[in-house]
Amino acid sequence: MTRDFLLLLPLGIVGAGAILLMLRSALGKLTLEAASLVSMCVFALAFIAQILSGTIGHVSPYGSVFNGMLMVTDFTRVAGLIILACGFFTSMSSQSYFKENGFATVEYYSLIAFAVSGMLLLTMSQELITAFISLEIMSLSIYILVGFNRTCVTCAEAVLKYLMLGAFTGAFFTMGTALIYGGLNSTKFSAISTAIAAHGFLHLPALVGGAFFIIVAFLFKVAAFPFHAWVVDVYDGASVPVTGFMATALKTAVFAIFANFLMLDPGLKSAWVNYLFYIAILTMFGGNLIAIGQNTLKRMLAASGIVHTGYLLIALVAVSADHFTGSVILYYLAAYAVSTLGIFAALSYLTGNGEMRSQFDDFKGLAKKRPYSAAAITVFLLSMAGIPPTAGFMGKLYIISSAIQAGQVTLAVLGIVSSILSMWYYLRLIINMYFHEPEETFETECSVFGPVCTLILAVAVFAISLYPVTI
Amino acid sequence: MFEHILSSMIFLPILAGLILLLAPVPKNGSRAIGFVVSVAVLILGLKLYAGFNGAGGMEFVEKCTWIKSLGIHYTLGVDGISLLVLMAGAVLFPTIFLLFSTKTKGYYGNLLIAEGAMTGAVCAGDLILFYIFWEVMLLPIFFMIGLYGGEGKISATLKITLYTIAGSLLMLAAIIFIGVSYHTQFGVWSFDIAKMAGLRLHGSMAVLAFAGFMLAFAIKIPLFPFHTWLPDAYTEAPSAATFVLSAIMAKIGVYAVIRFVVPVFGPEFTKYALILAYAGVIGMMYCGIAAIAQKDFKRMLAFSSASHMGIIALGIFCMNVQALTGTLFQIVAHATSTGALFLFAGILEERMNTRKIADLGGIAGKAPVFAMFFAIAMLASVGLPGTSGFIGEFLIILGAIKFNVIIGVLAGTSLIIGVCYMLWMFQRVFFEKVNERTEKFRDLTSVEVFAFLPIIILIVVMGIYPQPFIKKIEPAAKIQISSLLHNMQVADLNVLERGRNQEKK
Repeated sequence: MTRDFLLLLPLGIVGAGAILLMLRSALGKLTLEAASLVSMCVFALAFIAQILSGTIGHVSPYGSVFNGMLMVTDFTRVAGLIILACGFFTSMSSQSYFKENGFATVEYYSLIAFAVSGMLLLTMSQELITAFISLEIMSLSIYILVGFNRTCVTCAEAVLKYLMLGAFTGAFFTMGTALIYGGLNSTKFSAISTAIAAHGFLHLPALVGGAFFIIVAFLFKVAAFPFHAWVVDVYDGASVPVTGFMATALKTAVFAIFANFLMLDPGLKSAWVNYLFYIAILTMFGGNLIAIGQNTLKRMLAASGIVHTGYLLIALVAVSADHFTGSVILYYLAAYAVSTLGIFAALSYLTGNGEMRSQFDDFKGLAKKRPYSAAAITVFLLSMAGIPPTAGFMGKLYIISSAIQAGQVTLAVLGIVSSILSMWYYLRLIINMYFHEPEETFETECSVFGPVCTLILAVAVFAISLYPVTI
Repeated sequence: MFEHILSSMIFLPILAGLILLLAPVPKNGSRAIGFVVSVAVLILGLKLYAGFNGAGGMEFVEKCTWIKSLGIHYTLGVDGISLLVLMAGAVLFPTIFLLFSTKTKGYYGNLLIAEGAMTGAVCAGDLILFYIFWEVMLLPIFFMIGLYGGEGKISATLKITLYTIAGSLLMLAAIIFIGVSYHTQFGVWSFDIAKMAGLRLHGSMAVLAFAGFMLAFAIKIPLFPFHTWLPDAYTEAPSAATFVLSAIMAKIGVYAVIRFVVPVFGPEFTKYALILAYAGVIGMMYCGIAAIAQKDFKRMLAFSSASHMGIIALGIFCMNVQALTGTLFQIVAHATSTGALFLFAGILEERMNTRKIADLGGIAGKAPVFAMFFAIAMLASVGLPGTSGFIGEFLIILGAIKFNVIIGVLAGTSLIIGVCYMLWMFQRVFFEKVNERTEKFRDLTSVEVFAFLPIIILIVVMGIYPQPFIKKIEPAAKIQISSLLHNMQVADLNVLERGRNQEKK
C-alpha cells in the first residue's frame, strides 16, 4: 500500500503543485519569480520522489482500485524522470525569458505543471481511455502555452494550427478506442494482448482498424512523416521555453505510451514494423530536407526535431517486443532532451526582447561577445549531431547497434546518412557564431537562472555520455 | 603517473587545452603553458620509447570496462605500428609552440586538444574508443581553420568537415557491424581490436563494412580520388593547423588502415589491394603533376603532401614486410620533412605577406640558414639518399616491385615528378633575383633555429642510420603481414602469386 502510494507520489506532487499555483495566481499573491521558484521546487521534489520510489519489475499501483489501468515499470519511471527534468529546466529558463518578455502570468507555470502531470499519467497508462484523458490534459495545457503571447500574430497562427490538427488527432484516437472497444469489449492493454495471443492480430479487424487510428494519433504527436508538417510553424510560433518543452517532454511522454502500446504484444509490433520502417526513413529525410532550407533557428530546431523522431522510430523498429526494456529509446530521449533543452535555455536569454534574434545571421560573432554561451550552444549542437564524446553520440551508437543487431542494416545505414546530412545545418550555426565578426553586442537583461540552466545542461551532455546502458 | 603513461599523454594536453579555452589566461601565458605541456608529453613519450622493447606485441596496456553491456572498454596500448606515429606527434608539437606567437589563446588550446586526441586515436585498442578520438581530433582543426584561416576559410572548413564526417560516420556503421558480427559469432559483445582478428566475415556485408572503413581512412589520408578537400584546407588553414593535418593527422589515416583494416578484413583487403594500390599510384602522379602547376607555394606543398601520401598508402597495399616497414618508416620521415616544409612556408608567409611563388626570389642570399634548413627538409621530402625520405621510399618501391612491377615502376617514376616541382620552386623562391619584397627578409632567429634543429637532425640521422628505428617497427610489421598471409590462406587467395603472374606477362 505504501509502495503504491509512493509510486504515484510524483504525480500527486506535480498535480497538487499545479493546482496550488493556479489558486495563488487567482488570488494574485505570487510574483512571477516566486512562481517559477515554486514550480522548480515542485518538479525537483517530484523528481526526488520518483527516484526514491524504487521498484523492481512491473507494478500496478492500486491495481484493484484502478482496475489495472496504470502500470509502473522501469521504463515508465525513467521516462517520468526525463519529463520531470524537462519541467524543471523549462521553469528555470522561462524565468530568464520572462525578464525580457513581459507577457507571462503565474498561470504559465501552473500550466507547465498540469502538462507534466498529464505526461506522467500518460507514461503509466495501460488503458486507452486513461491514455486519452492524460493525452488531452497534456495537449490542452500545451495549446494554451503555445498561444500564451496573445498579442503575437505568429503565436495565434501556431495555436490555431496546432489546436485544429490536435483536435483531429484526438478524434482519431477516440475513433481507434471505440473500434477496439467494439471488437474486444475492453480498452485495457492486457485485454488487447490476450485477444491477440488467442486469435492473432490480423484476424481481429476491429483491432487492426483501431490500432491504425491510434498509431496515427501517436505519429502525429511525435511529428513523424507524413504528419510532420505542423511542427515547424507551431514550434516557430510558440515562445522559446515552450518550444523547448514541447520538443522534449511531450516527445518523451508520447514515445513512452507509443512504445508501451506497440510492445504490448509481438504480434502487434510485427504487423506494423514494416510500415514504421518506411515512416522512419521518410521522417529522417523529410526532416532533413526541411531543416536544410530554414533560416530561422527555431524552425531549424523544429525540423531537426523531426529528424530525431526518425531516429527514435528506428529504435522502436529495432527493439524486440519479447523482452522490452526500452533503455535505448530512453537513453536517446534523455540525450536529445538534454541538448534540446540546453539550446532553448541558451536561446531563452539570448534572443532578447520579443525574440528579436531569431535568424542564423543574428547570431554572427556570438563567440566573440559571449564565449561561454557560444561554447555551450556548440556542445548542444554537437550532441544533436552525434559527435563524440557527447550524449547524442552515445544515443546514436546504441540506436545503430540495436538496429544492426535486429538485422535492420538498411535502417542503420540510412540513419547514418541522415546524420551526415544534418551536419550541414548544425555546423551552419557554429560557423555563424564563431567564424564571423560580431555585428552587435548581445547584451541581454537576464536573471542568473538562464545561464546557470545552460551550464548544468552542458555538463549533463558529457555526464550522460559516460553513463553506461544495458541494451 | 607512470603506470598510466598513455592516459597521461592523452589527457594532459586535452585538459590543459580545455583550461586554456575556458579560463581567462593571457596570450603569452597560454603559449608558455602550451609549450610546457607539449614538452611534458614529449618527455613522457621519450620515456615510453626507451621502455618499449619491440617484441611485436602491445605494451603499456591500460584496460578498464566502460560500457559492460556492449563490451566497450577503455583500452590503450602501443606496439611497433603505433609507436613511431605516436612519437612523431610528441616530437613535433613543441616546435609549433616555439614558432608561432601572434595568435590568441584559443589557438594554443585547440592545438593541445588536437595533440591529445591524436595520441588517443593512435593508442586506442578499442574500436569505439578509437572512433571517439578520431572524431574529436577533427574538432580543433575545424575551429582553427574557421577562426584563424585565410580568406576562403569558411568554405575550406565546411569542405574538410563534411567530407571527413561523412567518411567517419559510415565507418561508425561499419564498426558497429563488426561488433554485432562478433556478438553473433562468439556470443559476447566486444569491440576490442585484438580480438577482431579471429572474426570471420562473409559476403557482401563484409565488403560494405570494408568499404566503410576504407572510405573514412581514404578521405583522411587522402587517397585519390578523395583528395579534393585537401588543397583548400591545407592552403587556407593557419600554418600550425596545416602542419598538424599534414604531419600527423594524415598519418593516422595510414596507421588506421594497418591497425584496423588489415587484420579484420584480410580477404577483402587482399582482393582489392591491387585497385587500391593503383589509386595510390594515380594519386601520386596526379597530385605531383598538379603541384608543378601551382603558383601558390602553400598550395604546391599541399599537393606535394598529397602526392607523398599516395606512396605511403601504397606501401600498405603491397602486402609485404618491406613495403609495410617502409610505410611505417616513411610516416615519420614524411611527418618531419613535410611538417617542417609547412612550418617554413608559414614563416615565409608571415614575413612576406604573400604566398605567391612569383613574388619571391633570392631568399638564399638573404637568409642562408633558412635556405639550408629548407633545402634539407625539401631533399628529404623528394627522397634524396642520406635523408630520411630515401629509406622509406626505397623500401616501399622495393616492396611495390615485388608486389607488381607496373606499380613499382610507376611509383618510382612519380618520384621524379616530385623532384621537378620541388627543385623548380626552390630555384624560383631561393635563387634568382632579390626583389623589394624579399629585400627585407630576415633569417631565422635563434629560437627558431633551436625549434627546427631537432627536426633537421632527425631527418639526417634517420637517413644515415635508420637501423634503430627499423628495429622497433619490423617485428610488428612481420606479425601484421603474417596474419594477413594466414588470412589469405583461409580465404584461398594468394596475392604474392598473383604478383608473380603479372611479372611473367
